[in-house]
Amino acid sequence: MTDAPADVVLEVEDLAVTFEGPDGRRTRAVDGVGFSVHRGRTLGIVGESGCGKSVTSLAVMGLLPKAGARVSGRVVFDGQDLLAASERTMRDLRGDRLAMIFQEPMTSLNPSYTVGDQIMEVLLRHRSMSRAAARERAIEMLRRVRIPTPEQRFDDYPHRLSGGMRQRVMIAMALACDPGLLIADEPTTALDVTIQAQILELMRGLREETGAAIVLITHDLGVVAEVCDEVVVMYAGQVVERASVGDLFAFPQHPYTVGLLGALPRFDERRDRLSAIEGAVPDMSAPPSGCRFAARCPFRIDRCAELPPLAPVAPGRLSRCWRAPLEALAA
Amino acid sequence: MLTVISKRLTQLVPTLFFVSVLIFGLQHLLPGDPALVMAGEERDPVVIEQIRRQYRLDQPIPVQYLHWVRGVLSGDLGESMRLKEPVLDLVRQKLPVTLQLAVMSMIVALVLGVTLGILSAVYRGRTLDHLVNVVGLAGISTPNFWLGIMMILFFAVELGWLPASGYVSPFEDWRQSLATTIMPAFVLGNSIAGVIMRHTRSAMIQALDSDYVRTARAKGLSEGSVVLKHAMRNALTPVITLGALEFGTLLSGAVLTEQIFSIPGFGKLIVDAVFNRDYAVVQGVVLVTATTYIALNLLADIGYILVNPRLRA
Ligand SMILES: Nc1ncnc2c1ncn2[C@@H]1O[C@H](COP(=O)(O)OP(=O)(O)OP(=O)(O)O)[C@@H](O)[C@H]1O
Ligand code: SF4
Ligand SMILES: [Mg+2]
Repeated sequence: MTDAPADVVLEVEDLAVTFEGPDGRRTRAVDGVGFSVHRGRTLGIVGESGCGKSVTSLAVMGLLPKAGARVSGRVVFDGQDLLAASERTMRDLRGDRLAMIFQEPMTSLNPSYTVGDQIMEVLLRHRSMSRAAARERAIEMLRRVRIPTPEQRFDDYPHRLSGGMRQRVMIAMALACDPGLLIADEPTTALDVTIQAQILELMRGLREETGAAIVLITHDLGVVAEVCDEVVVMYAGQVVERASVGDLFAFPQHPYTVGLLGALPRFDERRDRLSAIEGAVPDMSAPPSGCRFAARCPFRIDRCAELPPLAPVAPGRLSRCWRAPLEALAA
Repeated sequence: MLTVISKRLTQLVPTLFFVSVLIFGLQHLLPGDPALVMAGEERDPVVIEQIRRQYRLDQPIPVQYLHWVRGVLSGDLGESMRLKEPVLDLVRQKLPVTLQLAVMSMIVALVLGVTLGILSAVYRGRTLDHLVNVVGLAGISTPNFWLGIMMILFFAVELGWLPASGYVSPFEDWRQSLATTIMPAFVLGNSIAGVIMRHTRSAMIQALDSDYVRTARAKGLSEGSVVLKHAMRNALTPVITLGALEFGTLLSGAVLTEQIFSIPGFGKLIVDAVFNRDYAVVQGVVLVTATTYIALNLLADIGYILVNPRLRA
């Protein structure tokens, strides 16, 4: 947030997503989310399961179902508001300037086509190149994501590859057209620990090579500490804290973040650590009118019945809490 | 792949054995004596006796069976008592007719079923989906004979566009052949189209909700490419199997429709044979149909393996 504005690749303002169920029930899965991502930097989005991380990223990509999802706010990418863009424009951007990889490497590749075909497809879609050139480039991408013997892997069907290898293929596919922004939605959650570390290392290397901005969505504060420059903490569809990684870990400014850090994992308990905070996430079809964290917050006061704004608490950082800055509360 | 084929082939022998015993046995339970039918009005005991001997009807059924099996194994399906022609020749004449009808029906069924199935999956929950489902259900539940008669009344009698009945071989006059078979093919295809549509719809919905389709969209591919390439390739695999099985039933199941349109195919052959106690023909036709059905199953399995890279190896 200290960079010059020219460096901003993606600026999300007041993004809201409401799902309308078949029974007419509305779920506001994302409610006024904002953040910005800078060239060559990595923004982490953290939060418990169901807090709206995936919905946020799908909204940026324009991949939410047309029927049933209402999206509002502003998503400015390279100076263009994506929410106002036509579907055609979005299709031209997706896979080219805007790329995404998903949480489920095992099922995200089409089982009926070879990995080579699937990488070539994105190149042929967005670049006017011959099949031979696309093939060459696809093999080069496989090599860049450190897949051994890429010429042979090229003709493999996804089922022949392990989860880690498939995620590498997804990364190769996402980066094939040199995107300005890569959204990685929990890219390592489904993988085991050593593979996780390799994939993160790979992403870090590729970011340096390509200069792409990255949005990394994760449950894992360990991952955030390792890879990210800035962090957005989400709770129940809202941003509750925004800060640089150093600041966030040194002085968390929202009780929820404090809880997350307090529940920071030992290495043998990697899953579910965010739910180590007592209590459950509010029902998003009927969210509380006050602070959404109130039911679980140890610092709660009367005023918390009113929704706090996301407000600056120190240079370059925001917190959605009436009692921030929290330093005074530390006991 | 080889194991699948050999497994099917080893199933083939006992299945055919069972089928042949079944037809043979059931047939002899039918009331009526073929020799009497053959002998005609006079019922001259000498003639009847002679016919009995000629066609071995005087021997015990197991002996008749063994004799028949021996013939089949040497490529001889016996002789039609009524038409005095080798059964194999009759099959050779009628099979192409039924096959032509089956292929055309299958084309109708696949074009209608797959197209409507994909449309209703893509527009699921919307008006078009409901509309297609109503049409599909109507297609399944309309009796073939009724639809056949209605089509004859409308297109042949009322409009005079198509001949009401009869058959012309495509080798004689392909236009006329098409004209005589298009209505029965539509009638038969229509009833299968509904089934294919439902399978296509549910397989397509599953495919469209899959992660790999989301990936395809994230690559910026057009909706056409997402639906027709990424989703359809996976969704059509089960539909292939279904299609092959339905094709098998078309070979034997067209009896009524062939009757209505006076198409001289397998259906008509077998109906005439049953009414005339023409045992050898019934046995021959059922045997050929059963063998074809099993062979189609095998082909479906092979097709399934070929389009499914996980099963190739
Ligand atoms: N297509 C949809 N229709 C209706 N509700 C949806 C839809 N997609 C997501 N939701 C709801 O939106 C909320 C946020 O979901 P989201 O997938 O963004 O969570 P998440 O933060 O990514 O969780 P996780 O860590 O488990 O991936 C959830 O309550 C979910 O049930
Ligand atoms: S506003 Fe109140 S309830 Fe909400 S986090 Fe701050 S102290 Fe807790
Ligand atoms: Mg998610």
